[in-house]
Amino acid sequence: MSAQLLLFQLLNGLGIGMIYFLLSVGLTMIFGLMGFVNFAHGAFYLVAAYAAYSVSLLTGSMLWALLLGPLAAGAVALASERLLLRRTYALPHEAQILVTFALSLILQETVILVFDPLSKNVPVPDFLSGIVFLGDFVYPAYRLAVVGVAAAVALAMWLALERTRFGAILRAGSESAEMVSLLGVDVGRVFMAAFALGGALAGLAGALAAPLRGVEPFMGLEALGVAFVVVVVGGIGSFAGALLGGLLIGVVQSVMSSLWPEGARLMIYAAMAFVLLARPAGLLGRA
Amino acid sequence: MPLNRRTVLGAGATALLASPVVSRRPLAQPARLEVAGVYSLSGTFANVGDLLNKGNTWAFEHYRTAAGVPINYTLLDDQGDPGRAVRRVQEVMAAGTRHIVGCTNSAIALAVAREVHRAGGIYIHMAGADEATGSECNRASFRWPGASFTAVNATVRPFIERNPQAKRWYTITGQYVFGESLLTNTRALLQEAGCQHLGNSYHSLSEREYSGYITAALAARPDVLAILNFGNQTVDVLRQAVSFGMKRNTKIVVPWSTGLDQYQAWGPDICDGVFFGVNYWHGVQAPGNKVIQDVVRQKTGGQTTNYLHACGWAVGQLLVEAANKAGSTDVPAMIRALEGLSYEGPTGTETVRAEDHQVIKDYYLMLGKPRSRMADRDDFAEVLAGTKAFQPPDRTGCRMA
Repeated sequence: MSAQLLLFQLLNGLGIGMIYFLLSVGLTMIFGLMGFVNFAHGAFYLVAAYAAYSVSLLTGSMLWALLLGPLAAGAVALASERLLLRRTYALPHEAQILVTFALSLILQETVILVFDPLSKNVPVPDFLSGIVFLGDFVYPAYRLAVVGVAAAVALAMWLALERTRFGAILRAGSESAEMVSLLGVDVGRVFMAAFALGGALAGLAGALAAPLRGVEPFMGLEALGVAFVVVVVGGIGSFAGALLGGLLIGVVQSVMSSLWPEGARLMIYAAMAFVLLARPAGLLGRA
Repeated sequence: MPLNRRTVLGAGATALLASPVVSRRPLAQPARLEVAGVYSLSGTFANVGDLLNKGNTWAFEHYRTAAGVPINYTLLDDQGDPGRAVRRVQEVMAAGTRHIVGCTNSAIALAVAREVHRAGGIYIHMAGADEATGSECNRASFRWPGASFTAVNATVRPFIERNPQAKRWYTITGQYVFGESLLTNTRALLQEAGCQHLGNSYHSLSEREYSGYITAALAARPDVLAILNFGNQTVDVLRQAVSFGMKRNTKIVVPWSTGLDQYQAWGPDICDGVFFGVNYWHGVQAPGNKVIQDVVRQKTGGQTTNYLHACGWAVGQLLVEAANKAGSTDVPAMIRALEGLSYEGPTGTETVRAEDHQVIKDYYLMLGKPRSRMADRDDFAEVLAGTKAFQPPDRTGCRMA
């Protein structure tokens, strides 16, 4: 592989990594703050992608689609938490996995019933439909915009968690929900808001991904697999770890696409195994 | 010999067993024809299984009977896994079913073909790998769509003839039986035509992010990018290749596309200027195509027939045509009837080649139209050529078992 191609693949890998970060940040937040294993995360991604598809079809506006898609996912996450998932907080993780996986299958099959199993096209907004030249390196303008949104989300999330009262309550709730409750905070509402936010973040990833890869009913389960790899590599519950894990996995996948193409997908799991061998709690996870 | 009650009863029983009425009973037509369809309703190819099954079901609903016997259709979910598919088939064959149809995935179809042949059934499928009517052919198995040889020779060859200046090729290939088969044929044809194969990127069946492969392809600066795969992965690779601006100075060829359903998934802006190979196109004027289109419109509330509908229909139709010609649902009789059968199929008059059990039919090279030239919402591409590009029987490698 030439030095130029390696540079191209590194740049492309950073772009993929930011998309993976966006995909996984909601998952790590829900697990880190609530200790809840959410296998329905991919389904929220799916719901938002289809909501974006429907809105773009009805209004012809991708901007409305990108706005309403995450809101739809957040609403579904909120309803799921209130009606179903909060009853499982006290149960073992196995029960949470079972319930959320069932929820994801129900949402997936609902999508097939409402639409059909075939892939659908979601257009890129007109003003982002071109390509950008970075020297000899060509990059789609829309992908670059998604990377920008992911960076903005990373910054906003950091500020919200570290510099706001809500963030302080979330972090305190993740340490000791009982203590926070004794201080007069309605922890149930806080967790509900956190879960809805996590769902909306998955939704943002889904809505942004829709023009990149189209929508089809099985995209949620695929996204879930990548999100879990990123979260495990970064360290479960670590916000910065999700960013670092996403970038690492993205770069590994992109560079391996040239070095060993048929094994590029496999190598993201190999990278996860190497990280876990060296740091069992993930790159930035707490042991 | 004294004539007593025991002798009379014995003679009577012997006569009864030897009588035409009784001796013909095992050969008489069953009350109904049990047919099992193998389709992926879950797993990697689940997006196409449902529509293939619908096309198949609608064909049986349309024909109702085969050789005068009502058809009873059972759907088997292969879950995208050859092992599971074979187990499902073994179960229904153990229960008496001998007529099996379906499956687009080559690995699954080859495994099912071996099992159905071993168990004395008949199998009509829609897999693409050359081996199905080549080195892995058998007496019990028949294939409706063109093989990967057909796909490459009916698309890449006419493409090269139309674009003689496009010499430098790069390929992105799904690493499994069918992708490998497309790649082997493409390499052979490029060598024959004096073109340069700059490189190939394999990707796994679980891959969904192709920007790394496309970056590698861009760096090779090819004249032509060929996408050698099937289904949603083809959709994703082409979408991402176009988003990276590959259409600017590279022509893109997709030798195996499912046509309309994929064009709808891409939209006209992606399809415009891309060359596709398809097994079926709704715009083809043929009596058999009209029958399917009428049924699909009626069943779907006005939708246009796509390849998945047509392919599912075609394997069902073939089974019915075979039984009707044989006048029986007996497996050996149907196999004999199918060999050399000509009928009005979805692409016109189609013929089953006796030597390798391949249906000889047109395969189309299409070129995506710009949005401004689309006559209606499904008019994504124009047919540039329709070719019956099949290997001669003596070169398929088929030794009929």
